Amino acid sequence: MNKNILELKNVDFSYGKKMVLNNISFKIRKGTFTVLLGLNGAGKSTIFSLITRLQNLQTGEIEINDYPIKNYSKALKDIGIVFQEPTLDLDLTVKQNLHYYGSLKGLTFKETLISIEDEIKKLELEDVLNTTVRNLNGGHRRRVEILRALINKPKLLLLDEPTVGLDLKSRFDILNYVRDLVKRENLSILWITHLFDEVNEDDDISIIKAGKIMDEGIVKDIVTKYEKDNLVDTFNFLVR
Amino acid sequence: MKKYISCMKGIIYKELIRFLKQKSRFFSALVRPLLWLFIFSVGFKTALGLAITPPYETYITYETYIVPGLVGMVLLFNGMQSSLTMIFDREMGSMKILLTSYINRNYLLFCKMFATAIVSTLQALAFLFIAKWYGVEISYYGILITIPVIIISSIILNAFALFISSVIKQLENFATVMNFVIFPMFFLSSALYPLWKIKDSSILLFNLSSYNPFTYLVEAIRFALYEKFDTQIFLVIGISFIISLLMAFVGFKLKKV
Repeated sequence: MNKNILELKNVDFSYGKKMVLNNISFKIRKGTFTVLLGLNGAGKSTIFSLITRLQNLQTGEIEINDYPIKNYSKALKDIGIVFQEPTLDLDLTVKQNLHYYGSLKGLTFKETLISIEDEIKKLELEDVLNTTVRNLNGGHRRRVEILRALINKPKLLLLDEPTVGLDLKSRFDILNYVRDLVKRENLSILWITHLFDEVNEDDDISIIKAGKIMDEGIVKDIVTKYEKDNLVDTFNFLVR
Repeated sequence: MKKYISCMKGIIYKELIRFLKQKSRFFSALVRPLLWLFIFSVGFKTALGLAITPPYETYITYETYIVPGLVGMVLLFNGMQSSLTMIFDREMGSMKILLTSYINRNYLLFCKMFATAIVSTLQALAFLFIAKWYGVEISYYGILITIPVIIISSIILNAFALFISSVIKQLENFATVMNFVIFPMFFLSSALYPLWKIKDSSILLFNLSSYNPFTYLVEAIRFALYEKFDTQIFLVIGISFIISLLMAFVGFKLKKV
């Protein structure tokens, strides 16, 4: 059985003549918190779009849970997605947004709420279920988006810069909650970010620069490999 | 099968909630055809004589004549607005949620168009009831049997709108769409005047109107409202339904994010 939940092999991608991903290969091991770290414009969101099928794969292979992305009905079935941009419907209440998303995953309204009953409490969203999303603050909206991504009990959770625009407390509340999911539910996480303080030394990491993976592995191993003091120095060394 | 039903239900549910919450959208969609009915038709009826043509069996007032065309107007505007929203949302919003589903994308697009058609149908029905109250001769039974025709017509227009807004970048703006798509489609049809009247004035415009699918949608609504059936019209509607959906699916797929 494959120990990787996500695998990209030799992926190239261009917007017209501009190549943004150049022979990208990386993987996410099952039950790990994996960070894709890179500066703005490095190609992180393009990778995210390819994995989620928002962009069509041009060359290379993507496998999710042993299914090629072309077989999307199986490959995308067990993933949860949190986009960088807000994607909740502002005119709907939290519960209505959850019902809508659940239906896209083939669940009835009742099944939807049952599937996330515990997580609603853990994310402290019980009191806002009937609130219109427009009336929620940024932190609450983000938590709702994460809750929504868990509706179908995914095996892999993809988060594209999920803490952008949030205050420090909200950022780390969300980060800690997601890390806890790995421990509790053995969920695999792909956390895409450019923020170093969101990375732990035991995390799996892939460092991307200008559409190329510069290195991957466990953070502390990579830091040791390049004989640097910390991740920031290692990153600066790799992307200089 | 359950996932497809649940998906359709969810998309319709969301569109209906949005429709109920956005009351201003509902009223503005109604005001447009009502202005034409209450003001334009009053001024215009003296200038236009109407002969007895199918499906009508007697002389009719001009208000009665333009009601099916104005139903078409409701569907046309709604379809265009909704399709442009889908294109914008693809790049920045809730369409992303739809597009990353594991369910077939064409089916999801169809559900979205069907849900929009339901909302358009509610608006069209509200307009028809007001028109009946105003004195236009329509029977409740006629309205009832027009509902499926309105839904199918709306899906055709939504699909067509999705196609053109996908493939023509310059049309990502509603004002441009009004000038270059909605108005030509609407005026080059039998919505405001019978085709034989156009033929009297210009053969070219008559020919253009005869090839305009919107003409057939308006005529299908007209025939259904008066409980009549015309094979040619309904054949064109059936073919338009299939072709417009195929165009929408292909156009959306080709659209660059």
